[in-house]
Amino acid sequence: MDNFFIERSKQTPEIKFDAESGVLEIMGRSIPENTFDFFNPVLSWLDEYSKNPASKTVVKVNLEYFNTSSSKYILEILKRVKNIMNDGYDVLVEWYYEEDDEEMMETGEDYEDVSGLPFTLISVEED
Amino acid sequence: MAKKSIYQREVDFLQKAKEFMASSDYTKEELQLQTKDLIENYEELVNQVKIITKISDRLQRKLNKTNEKLEQTNYALNETNIKLNETIDALAEAKIGRKSAIIVMIVAIALFIVSEAWIEPIIDSHFPNSQYPFVGLGLKLIVAILIKPGEDLTNKYMLKKARKKQIEESKIVTKKV
Repeated sequence: MDNFFIERSKQTPEIKFDAESGVLEIMGRSIPENTFDFFNPVLSWLDEYSKNPASKTVVKVNLEYFNTSSSKYILEILKRVKNIMNDGYDVLVEWYYEEDDEEMMETGEDYEDVSGLPFTLISVEED
Repeated sequence: MAKKSIYQREVDFLQKAKEFMASSDYTKEELQLQTKDLIENYEELVNQVKIITKISDRLQRKLNKTNEKLEQTNYALNETNIKLNETIDALAEAKIGRKSAIIVMIVAIALFIVSEAWIEPIIDSHFPNSQYPFVGLGLKLIVAILIKPGEDLTNKYMLKKARKKQIEESKIVTKKV
């Protein structure tokens, strides 16, 4: 299966999904003009990946800010990862946030609660 | 074709449920199954709305905080800018003050030389020193009295010119930006 990559822009995050290693990374800022157009290929790739995932899937989320519609798509991504876990595969979500970014940390906790996935909240130093 | 939205799956499901209800050709079991699916989807949607609203509110708070920080930084920058401009103005005024003092001094010296070399002999020939001892002295006194107002006038003129130049330069910078 091909890997998936979208370059980071001012409004969209970098998306780097490696099918072989099972590392799925989302980094940057997510405020796309058309969220459907941006995230739909991401979800399609994940649907394909979940048919034959790596033995361990690690989702790394490192977002500084995202809009409301992106939050819906993050839920959709996590839902697909949950399906992979329900199929008996090992999964982990690494949620990165800047050390003084209380809001992003709490958001990670909310996603952890609602998704029922194993989360690791990781504080990183500001650039 | 209608534009796809982020709630496309939910919209599609709702449409199917509407079509099912409109058909009126279903068994009790089929109706129960449809209702069960509808309830499950509705529950999921409610949960999603709850979490999305919570997250959205929180990120709005983050945005507000960032905005407040930006406003504070902007205010501090403006304050520093005002102080910097005041200092630049004071420096420019001091520089101009020195320049105008030098100019006035040169003019005064020139006038003194002119009065000693050319005006004094003319005065002496018309008003002999023995009869009019204060004419030459009075002329020098007038030149001495005029030094200060002359310096002030020169200073004012040069400041006006410098400010005009500054305004024109700032207009050019604004246009470039």
